[in-house]
Amino acid sequence: MNYQKFSYEIVADIVYIGFGVNETKSLTTLGKDTLEELERAIKEVGVLDKGRKIKGLVFFSHKPGCFLAGVDVNLISDLRSETDAKKGCERGQSIYSKIEDLKVPTMALIDGICLGGGLELALSCKKIAVSDSPKTALGLPEVMLGVLPGFGGTYRLPRKIGLPNAIDMILTGKQIRAAKAYKMGLADFIMPSERLLELADKYLKIKPTDRNKDLMQKITANFVGRKVIFQKARETVLSTTKGFYPAPLRILELMDSGANRNREAYMDMEGQAFAELSQTPQSKNLQHIFFMTDRSKKTDSFEEGLKKVTKGAVLGAGTMGGGIAWLFAEYNQSPIMKDINLSGLELGLKQASSVFRKDVEKKKMTEDEFERKIRSIEPTHSYSGFNGVDLLIEAVVENMEVKKKVFAEVEQHVRPDCLLTSNTSSLSVTEMSKALKNPERFAGLHFFNPVNKMPLVEIIKHPEVSKETIQALYKWVLSVKKTPVVVNDGPGFLVNRILMPFINESAYLLEEGVSIEALDQAVLNFGMPMGTCRLMDEVGIDVLVKVGKIMEDGLGARAKASKLSARLTDAGLLGRKTSKGFYLYGDNGRSTGVNPHARELISTKSVKMDETTIQMRVFLPMINEAANILMDKIVDNAEAVDLGLIYGIGFPPFRGGLLKYADSEGLDRICEAIREFEEKVSKDRYALSPYLKNLADTHKTFYSA
Amino acid sequence: MSKVYLVDGKRTPQVKSGAEIKDIAAPFLGHYLVRNLMAKYDLPKDAIDEVIFGNTGTPAKYPNVGRVIALEAGLDKKTSGYSVHRNCASGMEALSQAYIKIASGRDDLIFAGGVESMSQMPLMYGKKMTEFFMNMMKARTVAEKLKILSSFRLTHLKPIIAIEQGLTDPFCGLNMGATAEKLARELKISREEQDQFALFSHQKAVAAQKAGKFTEEILPIVYGSKLDKILTQDVGPRDTSSMDKLAKFAPYFEKRTGTVTVANSCPITDGGSACLLASEEAVKKYKLEPMARIVDFHFHGLEPERMGMGPLLASHYLLQKTKLKMDQMDLLELNEAFAAQAIAVLRGFKDKAVSSRWGIEKPPGEVEMSKVNVNGGAIALGHPVGSTGSRLIVSLAHELIKRNGRYGLATLCIGGGQGGAMIIENLK
Repeated sequence: MNYQKFSYEIVADIVYIGFGVNETKSLTTLGKDTLEELERAIKEVGVLDKGRKIKGLVFFSHKPGCFLAGVDVNLISDLRSETDAKKGCERGQSIYSKIEDLKVPTMALIDGICLGGGLELALSCKKIAVSDSPKTALGLPEVMLGVLPGFGGTYRLPRKIGLPNAIDMILTGKQIRAAKAYKMGLADFIMPSERLLELADKYLKIKPTDRNKDLMQKITANFVGRKVIFQKARETVLSTTKGFYPAPLRILELMDSGANRNREAYMDMEGQAFAELSQTPQSKNLQHIFFMTDRSKKTDSFEEGLKKVTKGAVLGAGTMGGGIAWLFAEYNQSPIMKDINLSGLELGLKQASSVFRKDVEKKKMTEDEFERKIRSIEPTHSYSGFNGVDLLIEAVVENMEVKKKVFAEVEQHVRPDCLLTSNTSSLSVTEMSKALKNPERFAGLHFFNPVNKMPLVEIIKHPEVSKETIQALYKWVLSVKKTPVVVNDGPGFLVNRILMPFINESAYLLEEGVSIEALDQAVLNFGMPMGTCRLMDEVGIDVLVKVGKIMEDGLGARAKASKLSARLTDAGLLGRKTSKGFYLYGDNGRSTGVNPHARELISTKSVKMDETTIQMRVFLPMINEAANILMDKIVDNAEAVDLGLIYGIGFPPFRGGLLKYADSEGLDRICEAIREFEEKVSKDRYALSPYLKNLADTHKTFYSA
Repeated sequence: MSKVYLVDGKRTPQVKSGAEIKDIAAPFLGHYLVRNLMAKYDLPKDAIDEVIFGNTGTPAKYPNVGRVIALEAGLDKKTSGYSVHRNCASGMEALSQAYIKIASGRDDLIFAGGVESMSQMPLMYGKKMTEFFMNMMKARTVAEKLKILSSFRLTHLKPIIAIEQGLTDPFCGLNMGATAEKLARELKISREEQDQFALFSHQKAVAAQKAGKFTEEILPIVYGSKLDKILTQDVGPRDTSSMDKLAKFAPYFEKRTGTVTVANSCPITDGGSACLLASEEAVKKYKLEPMARIVDFHFHGLEPERMGMGPLLASHYLLQKTKLKMDQMDLLELNEAFAAQAIAVLRGFKDKAVSSRWGIEKPPGEVEMSKVNVNGGAIALGHPVGSTGSRLIVSLAHELIKRNGRYGLATLCIGGGQGGAMIIENLK
């Protein structure tokens, strides 16, 4: 027989199937062809097995660092109906069940990534051996796409590693490293990668020891224990997903109700659950984000020989500077952190130290590694050493004159090829570039606070910047595991400009008499990670006053700032940093409830407004402003807007992004609603974007424009 | 012999042991200095031929601290690295070896320096306790184990203090302080004279700190249990010192009749220093602008019980070798292990009656106090043993530039009965 997608070989009566041949992509996935060939191959093995012609079956990979990265996501997104999806599942399930039913010993040799359908394949083998390489990682990430492992994963995993661990892996999609996989019994053997194939025939004969019959498993064997575990899991799911995501709950329901069914009956239930989930809007939206993110990582068309970063520098320490220094240190780019004040430097170190310290507490980092990471940051008052810097990020005070002065100065201390960037959140990058003799290697590089948690980085262009600079920065941002969005210069760039009407309109609602609680609850119920008032407290209300002014200056009447932030700032209510803003905060930084003083300052009025109206009042202006942003060509397309908002402010992923959401609601309906507010609330703030009007008039969507 | 250039030199703040930087292990007192200089001169990470560091404590975790510093500093893995030990002159020994290797044309770029965490010198189990552990491990049966267990005595737990042992001469049995006391006695150096010398050291160091004289040579170091604090200055110089206060200290080494106190001796200290040395070729290749040229060095032995006079001999023979005269030296960095010892050396430089005791009939010549340890010495700044030898050169090179001087001499006494000396020439 002839196979294209894997090697098939019989050596000393053992069948070896090796994935990753003829594969040009960096990761091997299970596509349509592979599954077809696998079906044939297993049939062939089945015949040999029946005739007692072979002694074993071994799966391995030819590709370094990857066993199988799962089923090709295109296969999932191509499923047009539940029937389609169910059929797809049944086919995979049947192949894997045939592997499971072979009489001879079977084993998967995992060296590198093994995810989703790849791990389900391994689970259908009698034994799993993993390499101890740091690249080895096992997981079932289907839940992140709003579905579940549909090739028997939810059936076999609990049987292999016990119910609590299985639920944890399936519900979180987390990846398990080699040592942990061995410890929890997911892998039966662990060995150096060079030995995997060499020792396969020997280990095929060895019966793995039962290492994982621990207390938890005994408990889960009884009925009451199981009920407790499922109950706990449901509570956790509800508190983390707030009920916005159907998949986790559906998975729990399946695993609970299917527990005592035989394999065939269970597989039927699993297939059904997969089929239903695969057609939910939530899953479709999560798939949309997956593809969008994947596309954003492509840099094939970039120039050759782009500047590589081995040493970083950050100017201006403090919390933000410290966060950036942490990022450099995390990725071994031993940064110099410069500030004129010792207290600033110490604040920066404190920030970096606290993030690394958490890794030590979680045992992800040893004390020695901690010391090395922190000491890789060089705090200094001087420019000594800047000659060796490849990428400099400026994070001094938000003041154009100061920044210009700093850049004029710094240009004399760095090499001509050093990339210079500013982490400004609100100032004009174009204006800043004028301070430089060589503006072509300068751009904006806007991080969000806190740097270790926020994935988005805006790369801001200006007329003089070179293509190579932008591409080098783009690659660097990807290399430090962040999501880049390239934007043109303009007030608030992308994210803050869309955030502006959201925050501003919230302030107007409060002044109209909507309560802090009602506003935040409505925003939370839409799926945002935090309410607007909570967000304002986090950012700092005084900061919003400054940014609001810049927006108003740049965008005119539609960005006219509410006076609320200024009133709160004058009264010293700056948010979390002063322990009081819209909410009060205790000594431990925890919120202790709404601040009555803020309530007094906001309004004497009190209005009951229904939740949908509140939501429309704050989200419609965002959509409208996003349309203006596309009109002004701040970004190229709707996809960039959605990526920016999802990774920048945590816009709810199950909605697929702000503009995806707008498209799904219908742009004519949205225009109509905006026009209504234009009439009733404010003709400035709800002035319909001509771009949006045009889309609606021509029956286009943001994504089809 | 080719010329050897001192491109640059940096040091840590120096701190009395057991204080701010006590938790910093020896390699981390050096690696960041190397890393800073690498970046400052934009050198490729594989450009360095050798990394040589002096260290006397030899931490159990880092037996070869030189190689660890090379790796922690981010140098290429091919970079050779080793550690040297010549007691108090270990840092100078590192520089000397670098000098020979470059002068002879074997190497082009070398980092040499010294590191010492005297805070982290260990307490050790004594011989009896060690034997007890060994026997317990060998014992097979319960009866054997019980028998050995019964041999245990509480006195076995009395530790050997590494630092105390290290500061006692194994040959003559005298503590270093006692050797200083011996010189004070024999050369009639009074308590007042010593206290005055110590006070002057503090006054010079405090003035230098206030004037920002150390900004170029000290690189701030990160410290604290969470590594989130930064130290920028030496902790040691006191502007509150006075003759009255110094007089209150009781003699430490010779309790009843002595003159040497902890206040007119150098404190036990943590610190590190590093120099980048280059050949003519490397200077051209990387367009370096060296601070100074190393003229030559010399080490010389004498009786261990008078080790403090080592600098007299080392300096004398180095001047002879280089055909330079003492009055050509614009600055002198004379390590202040003890005020008594430093005063003795200075006396030996000018006084034939003193120098002839060590066989020098024509003393090198008087050095004016205005040229000696102009920014304070070890009594105020501390003496991290493995580092001081190169720390003196770092301070000397920076100060020569500031004063626009030409030649500078750094010299120090070495426990065990030796002296070391090195002359550099300012090139800026």
